[in-house]
Amino acid sequence: MTFIRGVGMTKFGISDKLTHQMAYEASVEALRDANMAFDEIDAVVCSTLEFFQSIEKQRHFPAMLSSMFRTHVPIIKVEAACSGGGAALWYANQLPYENILVVGSDKLMTMKSEAITDEFMMAAENRYEQTEGLNFPSQNALVAQEYMQKYPSTTPHHLALIAAKNHANAALNPKAKFYQQPISLERIESSPVVCSPLRLFDCSISVDGGAACVITKDKADIEIAGSSLYTDYLPTFERDDNTSWEAAVLSSKEAYAQAKVAPEDIDVAEIHDAFTIVELIAYEDLGFAKKGKAWQLIEKGHFMKDGKLPANMSGGLKAKGHPISATGLAQIYELVKQMRGLQGERQVRRAKTALAHNVGGAGGTIVTHILKHRGAA
Amino acid sequence: MARIIRWVSKKSGKKWIHPIDTPLDKGDEIVKQVGTKTKVVGVTKVFIPNPLHPIVPYHVLILQDEHGSRMPKKTMKEYKIGDVYEDKPNKDENAIAAIKIKYDYLEAVDEALELIGDVKVTAKTRILIKPNASIPAYAYLGMCTNPKTMEALIQALLKRGAKAENITIAEQSFFLPLEKAAAKSGLPELIAKYKVNYVDISQTKFEEKKIREFTFKVSMLPQEFDLRFNVPVIKTDMQLGMDGAFENLTRFLEKQNFLEFAKNPKKAALALSVLPQALPSFITIGDASIGAQGNGPGEHGEPGFFNLIFAARNPVVHDAAVAKVFCLRIPPYIELAGKLGQGEYDIKKIEFVGNEYEALRRDVKQPIGSALLKEGL
Repeated sequence: MTFIRGVGMTKFGISDKLTHQMAYEASVEALRDANMAFDEIDAVVCSTLEFFQSIEKQRHFPAMLSSMFRTHVPIIKVEAACSGGGAALWYANQLPYENILVVGSDKLMTMKSEAITDEFMMAAENRYEQTEGLNFPSQNALVAQEYMQKYPSTTPHHLALIAAKNHANAALNPKAKFYQQPISLERIESSPVVCSPLRLFDCSISVDGGAACVITKDKADIEIAGSSLYTDYLPTFERDDNTSWEAAVLSSKEAYAQAKVAPEDIDVAEIHDAFTIVELIAYEDLGFAKKGKAWQLIEKGHFMKDGKLPANMSGGLKAKGHPISATGLAQIYELVKQMRGLQGERQVRRAKTALAHNVGGAGGTIVTHILKHRGAA
Repeated sequence: MARIIRWVSKKSGKKWIHPIDTPLDKGDEIVKQVGTKTKVVGVTKVFIPNPLHPIVPYHVLILQDEHGSRMPKKTMKEYKIGDVYEDKPNKDENAIAAIKIKYDYLEAVDEALELIGDVKVTAKTRILIKPNASIPAYAYLGMCTNPKTMEALIQALLKRGAKAENITIAEQSFFLPLEKAAAKSGLPELIAKYKVNYVDISQTKFEEKKIREFTFKVSMLPQEFDLRFNVPVIKTDMQLGMDGAFENLTRFLEKQNFLEFAKNPKKAALALSVLPQALPSFITIGDASIGAQGNGPGEHGEPGFFNLIFAARNPVVHDAAVAKVFCLRIPPYIELAGKLGQGEYDIKKIEFVGNEYEALRRDVKQPIGSALLKEGL
């Protein structure tokens, strides 16, 4: 069994720190939270994208972390686009070491938006998707279109409700980009179309940030009860049905089986809302809603703070921010804090069993983690 | 018509968008499947620019063929779900085909030929192909015609009924013996593989041709052929602005004649504007699979992965269109050639088939040292 002993993250937004400095900041917080010194760490698993167009011009991230931590322990990098953080945790969980630091960090805001779009697009297939202008917003717009064609009861209004929920949560999260900046449903629904039918506020926000956790084989309060990673074909157009992402279905099924829980046992979830449609189809792929029926639960407030299954209490990628390789570990940060009852105004009523769903690309890699609160270590 | 290409397993029916030489499973067989009857099954209007797609809004269609295979297609035109998508061939002198290479060079070259009204080939047709292999550099540096493009053209001609013994590849280098200049181009291997003929133009007979005030000594070789292809690699050039169809024809000049022109760059450019009149007509297959950008050959130019094949019956149309697609100024000698009635250089009057002009446009690094581009003729 593996446990999470400590978590840390930077504030998400525009940072004057470099990627490795944000990784360091998040790691130190996680070590303090775990009440551990770095000398007790046996290995580090890290994730970052090392953007080509960034001003940093810095590669060989593991050795850079060796410099930061003044260590010679094994440090290995895992890259899985937007699911880098989740994949790093999944990978660390396979390793035999006693104590592992898992850290993800990315710096996006030194690039102008065209360059960020270009960088992200490199995680799409080159000869068809990149050359035909199929960037991630347009890939997900086509997913939304396909979904709404197949399930016409679902409308852009339901996507807007997801965005509004996540913005309301982020407004209460001091580490979120949109902290204390609530966004009204009206503003969301009247925001400009970026890729029809998706609007600006259907898209997550690029930020700088780092997040980390310390995992251990020693008993701690939070158990990683399920950890599963599945993949799918890189181009979305190659898949038969984009209204459901198979890797999400497979990874959640496996994680539920490992944790010996069912979807209805989940108390709180962090869901990869790179686009609102991704959160919506995840409700169904993760078994929280029947196929084509997520809209009913959205309308009922099922995923709100006081609903049956609060989702994205952190504000999600949508409004907390999406620093790519840090995202999956920031989800873990939020869930651990929720399970420890530390989230103040946005603390949910019950958080004994939690789920994190982290997606790379448009469903090319999907990681599901299920955490259980085991009481004081 | 748009082509959707798949490699299909006979055993399992699994499909790949990538060429598969060796089946994944032992004992399996892979067959290539090309769908041509395409209809629109998805459409999104994209408002987010990036360096590859600077002009917005544009649309991305998802096309589906008669085999159920799909691919994205960028267009500036409005389509609805259910619309039939087709590209109609255009035999006009003012037409240029522009095809994005979807991993398969043969399909790209074949489609480009088809879209300019195709070529009539019999077993007796004598065919000349003039690549650019005058600089000793590998194709991945964008300095010489990609051997994959050359191979695709040979295959396309064989497919149409040509005989290998009637195909001749010809080139010369003004600075090195041809065997040294072409050693890294992949041409010697192709010639051996397909048993086509290989001619060093410098060893052919030359004749004087007076066009306007210029006296050219041109090879008589092209006169021996029924069908001629000019296959330049597309590169920016510090002196000429851009190397395309016109520049590639200079190596039909006798060496001393060329060197005389080269002494005076402006005079050379003026002469270049009428050079095609000294030669029989060629179909241009512009190889922009891997081209070069920046200051071009020998002047710290760099490879550019453009992933395009062009085809045109008129060299002015070809070079003017290619320059505009890459947001370069149309080289003055091309403009002049157009003004002298050799072909259309006004982009508004050039007809694109395969892909639309506005949908193709993207920046490449400019040849900033080009006095010709700055000052004109």
